[in-house]
Amino acid sequence: MMQYGLLVMGAPYSSPAPHSALRFAHAVLARGHQLAGVFFYHDGVHNASSLMAPPQDELNMRDAWAELHQQHAVPLDVCIAAALRRGLMDESEAQRHGKQAFNLSPPFELTGLGQLLELQQRADRLITFA
Amino acid sequence: MTTPNALLVIIRHAPHNSNWLREGLDAALVAAAFGQPVHLLFMGQGILALLKEQGSGAAGQKATLPTIDMLEMYDIEKLWVTEEALQGMHLTTDSLVEGVTLLAEQQVPGLLQQHSNILNF
Amino acid sequence: MILHILTKAPDSSVAVQMRQAVGAQDSVLLIEEGVTAALAPAWAAWEQCPSRIFLLLEDLRSRGLASIAAEHQLPTLEMDGFVALTEQYTKTVTWY
Repeated sequence: MMQYGLLVMGAPYSSPAPHSALRFAHAVLARGHQLAGVFFYHDGVHNASSLMAPPQDELNMRDAWAELHQQHAVPLDVCIAAALRRGLMDESEAQRHGKQAFNLSPPFELTGLGQLLELQQRADRLITFA
Repeated sequence: MTTPNALLVIIRHAPHNSNWLREGLDAALVAAAFGQPVHLLFMGQGILALLKEQGSGAAGQKATLPTIDMLEMYDIEKLWVTEEALQGMHLTTDSLVEGVTLLAEQQVPGLLQQHSNILNF
Repeated sequence: MILHILTKAPDSSVAVQMRQAVGAQDSVLLIEEGVTAALAPAWAAWEQCPSRIFLLLEDLRSRGLASIAAEHQLPTLEMDGFVALTEQYTKTVTWY
């Protein structure tokens, strides 16, 4: 059994990367490995938006990641600098920046880039989807 | 010879074209700030990040050069570029910032093998 | 030994960069748009990495390329095989 980390840098509905990453994540778990974490960077931060509302016949990527977390306790870390630039923030960041809305909530967590480097060191494998 | 823990950050994107360059350099700087040995390999359009005459972009678009200049302060000493790629762009090291190290294209696979961690931007 | 994952078409500039980085022991996995290499028998990588290039079957299927890949006897992998491949290589680099 190995520890896997995933780095996701593509936005849902713009890039196939999140779909590939999600299917890979389930395959990793199905082979008996553990997912040490998923880190969302660059345009990948859009995966965390709780305001995405795709048509009913399309996968809601945010909910799909949240389900992965609920079933397997996989940490979902979002780079805070990449997120704030792109208008993704949780309630406390919204207050801090004087914004009227927020669109990021648990199980997604805003965190620093250090978390990515820590994940790369801790995991036996880091696979990038971008 | 593998430096344990060393991180190679590959930069393939030019300034003022996307946020890939900025966010790739950020990853390199954070790793270096955490004391990880970090080296950079510039490929393709990424080489444009090393041009010493580059400025800021359209209004509100930050320049990359100050970040490139910061690399040395963070002890990121190796900025690799292949001779072939430079020639292919009709550039010489005279046009680039200081501290760029040239390597032959055929050495690139070895460079990747030497680093225990790689991030590709 | 490195597993290189190519997500873009074989005639993209990133595919050229990947070919420069692939070592003699490395393997290549084609995913997403990368699987369109099934339509490019003249792609230099086929000769550079004989029998070390794999294609992700679900991306071939979704693009209608699975039977073409089979005709050319290209090695394909299911998602499970993708994970198995990453088990064998301590490092992976994604080219996108």
